[in-house]
Amino acid sequence: MSHLSNDLPSDSPHFSSEEIAVSVRHLDYYYGQGDLRKQVLYDINLELSKGQIVIMTGPSGSGKTTLLTLIGALRFLQEGSLNVLGQELVGLSKSELVEVRRNIGFIFQAHNLFDSLTASQNVEMAVEVLQDWGNKRQRAVEMLAQVGLAERVDYKPKALSGGQKQRVAIARALVNQPSLILADEPTAALDKQSGRDVVTLMQTLAKEQGCTILMVTHDNRILDVADRIVNLVDGHLESDQNFTAFSQTHDPKALV
Amino acid sequence: MRVPLAWLNLVHEKSRLVVALAGVAFAVLLVFMNLGFLGALAQSASMFYQYMDADVFLVSPQTLEISSSKAFPRDRLYQAAGIKGVARVMPLYLGYLQWRNPETRDSRAVFMFAYNPQDRVFLLPELNTSATLAALDRPDTVLFDRLSRPEYGSKDIGTKTEVDRRTVTIGGQYELGGGFAADATVVSSDQNFLRLLKIPLNLVNMGLIKLEPETDAQAIAAQLRQVLPKDVVVKTKAEIIENDRSYWITSTSTGFIFGMGVAVSCVVGVVIVYQILYTDISDHMKQYATLKAMGYRSGYLFNVVIQEAIILSVLGYIPGFLSSVGLYAFAASATNNALPVAMDWQRAVMVFILTIAMCVLSALISVRKVVTAEPVELF
Ligand SMILES: Nc1ncnc2c1ncn2[C@@H]1O[C@H](COP(=O)(O)OP(=O)(O)OP(=O)(O)O)[C@@H](O)[C@H]1O
Ligand SMILES: [Mg+2]
Repeated sequence: MSHLSNDLPSDSPHFSSEEIAVSVRHLDYYYGQGDLRKQVLYDINLELSKGQIVIMTGPSGSGKTTLLTLIGALRFLQEGSLNVLGQELVGLSKSELVEVRRNIGFIFQAHNLFDSLTASQNVEMAVEVLQDWGNKRQRAVEMLAQVGLAERVDYKPKALSGGQKQRVAIARALVNQPSLILADEPTAALDKQSGRDVVTLMQTLAKEQGCTILMVTHDNRILDVADRIVNLVDGHLESDQNFTAFSQTHDPKALV
Repeated sequence: MRVPLAWLNLVHEKSRLVVALAGVAFAVLLVFMNLGFLGALAQSASMFYQYMDADVFLVSPQTLEISSSKAFPRDRLYQAAGIKGVARVMPLYLGYLQWRNPETRDSRAVFMFAYNPQDRVFLLPELNTSATLAALDRPDTVLFDRLSRPEYGSKDIGTKTEVDRRTVTIGGQYELGGGFAADATVVSSDQNFLRLLKIPLNLVNMGLIKLEPETDAQAIAAQLRQVLPKDVVVKTKAEIIENDRSYWITSTSTGFIFGMGVAVSCVVGVVIVYQILYTDISDHMKQYATLKAMGYRSGYLFNVVIQEAIILSVLGYIPGFLSSVGLYAFAASATNNALPVAMDWQRAVMVFILTIAMCVLSALISVRKVVTAEPVELF
């Protein structure tokens, strides 16, 4: 349980920002207001080292997506502190949060590609957000080649298979070489083989670019790519182990 | 260059684009038709005066516009003739006759201009040939406007028909057009006016004053206003044209109706474009939310929607403009050019700007939706 830091006081300088990509401390989160106010995250403490691939599992409704979107600067923090890529998110304005997001690559369950744009144009949209016009086409094409779509750069999503579309979405998330990738069930819409391929691809690219991946999944067939597996139950971080330890303590079938 | 997202989104949905463009084009066409009629109205209101060989006009203070003029004493004209710089004064008598179509025997009103044949009231060359002048001098003879509507029957010279229980002969023809005031016009001598309408000639409907060359009409008009009693109003040619024009446009409901027509057309356009943009935004909410997750700001999405609106307005304007030009030509020919609807570049530019404004307004209404695209809803 070396990564859990419940025992550390929140104000102590307990990590060096050079090695830590994400640091969550005493984070609580509530949905709703007044009588309907419901706590979904309880005192979450979590540190993700740079270059780690971390898989987050847990029963449905346990708060995984909520935590992921908080780390992704997509929600305002309520209680606790959250440091992402050296930037404290507490108290940031909406506009400052947008700035943080530009260093994060998001991969969703659905590919969310524009049907009207080719694979390359969809990826170029990500390059453009950084005001980088010059060689955006070249970068998009290279990235698509890395995800194995060199032959498909000018295809529209309609002409691509589900797995290929998700690979375009991965290319889009990775093209700016983000330091952090957040993925929420990226394989859920894919068949077994394409799901496996997509995750292996993410793993390879992450190792090449040295980026940190936090991936939520129910898919126990892909757990082995993880350096670490954290398990969230009813809003509490229940365990934090490597794959081998995790597979010994958890019945794989219970995860599905 | 940026990925032209707005353009690509629009052309991706071909049938939706066609519907949108047809909608914009239709609204543009409606606006052009309304403005065309309004413009023709304004122009035809001034047309009579353009053809009159006079620089200053006297009318009764009760006269609102030419076709409903009230009479005033002819002596005012003779008083005006004494002013230095006045070359000639010409009484003009105006009235309506009930003209019987000799074929169907239906009677319809014609608008009559009457003057002393010695005076060259109109600049139209046809009215000043010796043949027409001779015809004007004959009793119970009138000249008939070739641009009159066909319901009046034969316009041929020699046609005889009954007018207010007298037999009248068409002795000549000319081309003037009745505009909005009349479906048909005739020209006659003042003597025939007296015979047909039995109105004494010492009361005139309009006094035409022709000035010596190089005389300032404004100055003479000012002087006349001083000299003449208040039972006449003095107007320069430009002033009387403006008077009739603004009467038709603002004082009658005509201007209001066409103005309403323009407004309703714009609303139709706004609704259609709004509908299209809203559907397009709704279809792309997930993608827009993804863009926001990637770090795009609402401003970018706002721009995309505005661009879509501008593309729709430009592409919709072109067919709208072309079909309007066609319909203008049709309307002009269907009315024997009595309704001078024609395209002019000011109107073309104005409607173009209006079209863009219309589409941008729709965009502003629909854009609220895109701003609500929330990345957290993607999970
Ligand atoms: N916008 C919201 N408003 C109110 N409650 C919400 C909202 N989103 C999620 N919740 C609730 O918060 C809890 C955690 O939701 P969350 O989506 O984080 O779970 P999850 O672990 O991602 O579940 P799953 O595995 O099914 O995706 C759930 O009980 C859910 O019903
Ligand atoms: Mg979830």
